Amino acid sequence: MISTAGVADIGVPGVARSRPLLARVRQGLPPWLLLLPALTVLIPFFLLPLASLLRNSFNRDDPTALMVADFTWRNYVRVLTDTLYLTSFGNSLAMAAAIAATTLVLGYPFAYFLVQRAGPWGPVLRWLVYTPLIVSVIVRVFGWIVITADSGLINTTLLALRLVDEPFKILFNVGGVFIGMCHRYFPLAVLPIASAIAKIDPALLAASFGLGAGPTRTFLQVALPLSLPGVVAGGQLVFAAVLSDFVMPLLLGSTRFRMIAPAIFEEAIGNVSWASAAAMAIVMLVMTALLLLVTSWTFRRLAPWARTL
Amino acid sequence: MSSARARRHGSRLGGLAFGAYVAAVSVFLLAPIAVAVVLSFSSVSQLRFPPPGLSLQWYVKAASTPEFVSGFAISVGIAACVAAVSVVAGTLAAIAINHYRFRGRTAVQTFVMLPLVLPTVVIGLGLLQTLGWYRIRTGFLAAVLGHCVIGIPYVTYLVLASLASYDLTLEQASLNLGASRLETFRRITLPLLAPGIMAGAIFVFLLSFDNVALSLFLTRGDTLPLRLMQHIQYYADPSVAAVSSVLILFSLAVLFVVGRLLRQREDIRLVA
Repeated sequence: MISTAGVADIGVPGVARSRPLLARVRQGLPPWLLLLPALTVLIPFFLLPLASLLRNSFNRDDPTALMVADFTWRNYVRVLTDTLYLTSFGNSLAMAAAIAATTLVLGYPFAYFLVQRAGPWGPVLRWLVYTPLIVSVIVRVFGWIVITADSGLINTTLLALRLVDEPFKILFNVGGVFIGMCHRYFPLAVLPIASAIAKIDPALLAASFGLGAGPTRTFLQVALPLSLPGVVAGGQLVFAAVLSDFVMPLLLGSTRFRMIAPAIFEEAIGNVSWASAAAMAIVMLVMTALLLLVTSWTFRRLAPWARTL
Repeated sequence: MSSARARRHGSRLGGLAFGAYVAAVSVFLLAPIAVAVVLSFSSVSQLRFPPPGLSLQWYVKAASTPEFVSGFAISVGIAACVAAVSVVAGTLAAIAINHYRFRGRTAVQTFVMLPLVLPTVVIGLGLLQTLGWYRIRTGFLAAVLGHCVIGIPYVTYLVLASLASYDLTLEQASLNLGASRLETFRRITLPLLAPGIMAGAIFVFLLSFDNVALSLFLTRGDTLPLRLMQHIQYYADPSVAAVSSVLILFSLAVLFVVGRLLRQREDIRLVA
């Protein structure tokens, strides 16, 4: 009696414990097995490179070797105090803010039209927004070169109309980069706004009209606040994209208006200064992350209704 | 009465202004692309618009420029590999995130999506500095791996979006009716996800095909976008426009073929 109880005491918990364990293993295995291919690429070729970039940013660049292992803040101090680097960061931030503001202001009415008013034109306009995403960026750059060059479409027209006496310098200047980037990132601003507007319940707009508000008031007090999450998302996308763009500054801009992405490339490939390039990249990464976090946080505080959307 | 009419008149004017605005933006969106296509038929080497005459010489020149031809082949090869790897890895990851509840799920989802929000320059530089660890040199393999870092999250994102309207009970029913897990995956899960997967494949192919930011760090400047960039920087002539037009045609053809394939699939499903 005692012995069987003892056996039962030993045996039963053992069985009871092993069953759920096996079930847990079987339940636990498939998701990680399914994730395996993605993680085999992303851990060695994304996570570890970021970690090594962080480590390298504290190393010392050596004129005779590639990099010397060290632990110094020198690179950061230089990147954050040297005027050459600072102007690159400043130019990029200013350009990102300008492009985000312009594409949002230009894109909002367009997105509104696309969703609410386009009717039969809807599919055509939708395709128009998608084309810049489909057509190679080099194709678009080429088009803008032809349009904005000193002897290009805009300047020959202006000269022919006697509006200017000499060509207006757009290409290989700030203006060229600005136009090219507005074109490149317009879809990034429009698409999130359009999807936010599409989500607005028509009954809310009808209720606003029913309660006596005119179209302007309905737009300002109902539709616009409800679509703000799309505006914030679009702005964040555009801002981050401008910061890391180097095709536009390289092909449409000039070295007089230095931007950060080409500067990092130049530092890493041209100067072979891996440690200071790494420090620049980490500063850029932190800037991007801060920007995303701060805008999201501010927006949640200022527009609590967005949380329920 | 008259004020109502005035208001209606005003709103029609407003509508017209709105229409004009949308038309202006549309012209802005299409202008550079249209200009590039027209210029590819120019008869002169200066980038003059409108071109003084028409010819096909720039297409001939582009086709006989070895840098463009080999660049095209290299870019297609990289993009095809990237699309294949990204579709498999990204789809499986999306299924894991959507179908299962496990510890670390949110963390994994955030991690897989992270490359989409980080500046590509940072990813490219990081990869360049670590390729040595794996004894990989800049070139084809490095470019494929680098593009996959961006490609996988895109596929995961698109497949997750198409999983949002996905009915898990269909899989349950299949399993209850005696089909094996593999059979259920092949005959239920995969066909239902096909549109999302297809969209992911095309998108990632085009993304890789057009990539500059990562290729600049990871290749030896021999992909088509990099070749075109070098060409534009040193001697901008309409042969770049000719390649551009072929690329536009190429993108449209890919989209058209896939659109047809997807529609056929839809017909089959409707019949079934």
